[in-house]
Amino acid sequence: MADKRTKARTKERRTLAGGRKRVLVVLFIPSVERDGSTAIDQQRWVDAALEMFGRVFGGATAFPKAKGIWRDDERGGALVKDEPVVVHCYTTPADIENVRNLAELGRFCRKMGSEAHQGEIGLVVGDEYFAIQDFAEE
Amino acid sequence: MKTRLNMAKIARGLGARRRGKVAASGGYFGAMQLLADIEARFRVPTGGGRPTDPHWTERRLVPLAPQTIKRLEELTAKVREHGGVNLEPMQLAALLLEKTTEHLREDEAQEIVHPKRRAIR
Repeated sequence: MADKRTKARTKERRTLAGGRKRVLVVLFIPSVERDGSTAIDQQRWVDAALEMFGRVFGGATAFPKAKGIWRDDERGGALVKDEPVVVHCYTTPADIENVRNLAELGRFCRKMGSEAHQGEIGLVVGDEYFAIQDFAEE
Repeated sequence: MKTRLNMAKIARGLGARRRGKVAASGGYFGAMQLLADIEARFRVPTGGGRPTDPHWTERRLVPLAPQTIKRLEELTAKVREHGGVNLEPMQLAALLLEKTTEHLREDEAQEIVHPKRRAIR
């Protein structure tokens, strides 16, 4: 009897270890092209990102856009305004390391990078920042 | 219990480059804090150009041997192929210089500049 209970608890622990959504994936949806002034259809990309995260990882949250400003010293100190949207998705270690899921997430980022004329698409997985700069289809 | 993710596998799967650690936390304020951190540290230069490390502000003309350039080209081609990173040979050279100078001791530098002659019998 005690043996059965121990086995059940071990099984439960294993399920929790692989199944709890505790890895945070963050995607940044830009508001402008890389020239810093041409606006992109941000809402379309927010909707598409939520749809992709929902389908692949089971859900996501888009936060209201943040207002940002930064000084571009490479262009004589020109002030560039941007309003990115941050999308949060909690997933499991198994799902984020799944090759098919990663391919789908990567494909989405490359499509957004290419069609929205970005220099880079930024993603955070866990505690690490990943940059996608090559938007050629694989 | 914190699970260690295979970040190299994730980078490969995404076709992305690992750029560094961040302190990501949930919720609206966590998202805004993370955004500010990333905008400050990993800014892509606008108006053209390749994303680069904003700390690389100094430029020097360094003469190199043809075989060194060739080796750098071979290495960057391999990095591009396996890591999905769009790296230029001189960016790799800058990275190597940065890493080496961080760890090189003075006596090791002396040894590189004036190697001790080996005894010839």
